[in-house]
Amino acid sequence: MKINKITVTFIVNGQEVTLKVGSKERLLDTLREQLQLTGTKEGCSVGECGACTVILDGKAVPSCLILTGQIGGSEVLTIEGLEADGKLDPLQQAFIDYHAVQCGFCTPGMLMSAKALLIHNPHPSREEIRTALEGNLCRCTGYEQIIEAIESVAKNCQ
Amino acid sequence: MISYEFLTSKKIEEALDYLDKFSKVQILAGGTDLLVNIHKESPRLPHFDYLLDISNIPELKFITLVKNFIEIGPLVTHFRLIEEPLIKGNFPILSTAAQTIGSVQIRNRGTIGGNIVNASPAADLLPPLIALKAEVVLTSKKSERILSLEKFLTGPYKTKLQADELLTKIKIPLLGDGYYTDFQKIGRRKALSIARLNLALVTKIDEKGVFHDTRVVPGSATPYPQSFPVTEESVNGKSIFNIDLEEIGEIVSKEMVSITGERWSTPYKKPAIATLIKRALEKIIKEAKTNEN
Ligand SMILES: Cc1cc2nc3c(=O)[nH]c(=O)nc-3n(C[C@H](O)[C@H](O)[C@H](O)COP(=O)(O)OP(=O)(O)OC[C@H]3O[C@@H](n4cnc5c(N)ncnc54)[C@H](O)[C@@H]3O)c2cc1C
Ligand code: FES
Ligand code: FES
Repeated sequence: MKINKITVTFIVNGQEVTLKVGSKERLLDTLREQLQLTGTKEGCSVGECGACTVILDGKAVPSCLILTGQIGGSEVLTIEGLEADGKLDPLQQAFIDYHAVQCGFCTPGMLMSAKALLIHNPHPSREEIRTALEGNLCRCTGYEQIIEAIESVAKNCQ
Repeated sequence: MISYEFLTSKKIEEALDYLDKFSKVQILAGGTDLLVNIHKESPRLPHFDYLLDISNIPELKFITLVKNFIEIGPLVTHFRLIEEPLIKGNFPILSTAAQTIGSVQIRNRGTIGGNIVNASPAADLLPPLIALKAEVVLTSKKSERILSLEKFLTGPYKTKLQADELLTKIKIPLLGDGYYTDFQKIGRRKALSIARLNLALVTKIDEKGVFHDTRVVPGSATPYPQSFPVTEESVNGKSIFNIDLEEIGEIVSKEMVSITGERWSTPYKKPAIATLIKRALEKIIKEAKTNEN
């Protein structure tokens, strides 16, 4: 049996990339190691902590449970793609303003979950924000500030 | 170390060809069970040489109404089960169960087909699907067969799927008038097995308020989800106006023990399963009484 390399083309933060990936290579590995997009974090590696969350074709997904070979033709948005023209995304600014970051390990994942929520539902209720963050663990900040930060952005875009 | 060659296909035909031509092929859909097992090098994982990615086969992503059945493609995600009007309208029990699965990220990737074939004792879609009398369509290059989901499951993490077969469709017969459904769950998947339990209830209530065709399927209560015929019969013929819920609770606990024997978890699970069936019946009875007025 041979361990093959797979050629995949997909879009990352608006740019098309074509890469050779290994048969066991996860999207998380490709982002961090091949593309040097190290904002996406590896926590549990088994879908439970949310640190590796990215947006794939508009939806929040765990990049530790996706093989890069699976995503040809798809569009990926990572934390590095949130900032546009040197301006932070309103969610990023709100996380700063509301002190929603301590060690920051969970922050990229939290922001991607929040972003995916607001793409589909610009005016979520507190309950909907809580649900959107169910899969994102934070050991430091406490969820209140994080939820308030997201709520402030949701209110501002009314 | 686990190592394999990666295969991918965009068409059912092509996937079936691979399954026919190669041996030791592991199918990959949303990966929320399989990639966890690969990462952990789980002893439950059989040896395989090829990983066949089916996640990009558009033909396996449908939800359609065909005659008296809703037909669901195995790649339909938990997210779609929650959102899809055909599911919400006809089988709200399935949307409710899907809503309890994992987290947003898991619901966006995990599929109904993976939940079925993985056949975990704690799989949340299995009890409602069995209670709805779902059937699975298994296709190989040479043949196609349909089995009831209940027969398809043969043990914890075990099914009748053959090495060259792909699950290509889930068929659920529409419920006629007068049917009520409910799904109850306590504990999370990762909770100690003692603290986790779910239950699907489907039943018909006639104009007089009498129960018929009751189906009771608990999850995490038995080695793999199965219906509880004794409990079902004990509900049938009773009236929503005077059914003794305590008695039904005792019957369901006894039936569980008759299947599993006394285990270390039994003292906890007996009252828990009784509570779940009482909650489900209470909810359905309330709904039926509201409809009557
Ligand atoms: C953090 C986390 C939380 C979770 N919480 C829950 C929960 O609360 N409740 C719950 O029920 N589950 C839960 N799960 C489990 C999981 O999400 C589901 O079982 C999911 O539905 C599996 O689908 P998949 O597409 O990801 O399957 P995969 O992992 O791709 O495949 C699972 C198995 O099914 C086989 N398979 C898949 N599709 C087919 C097909 N069409 N034909 C033949 N074989 C096939 C694969 O070969 C593999 O053996 C959780 C998982 C994680 C990681
Ligand atoms: S690293 Fe992916 S969910 Fe924890
Ligand atoms: S800020 Fe440290 S884990 Fe969330």
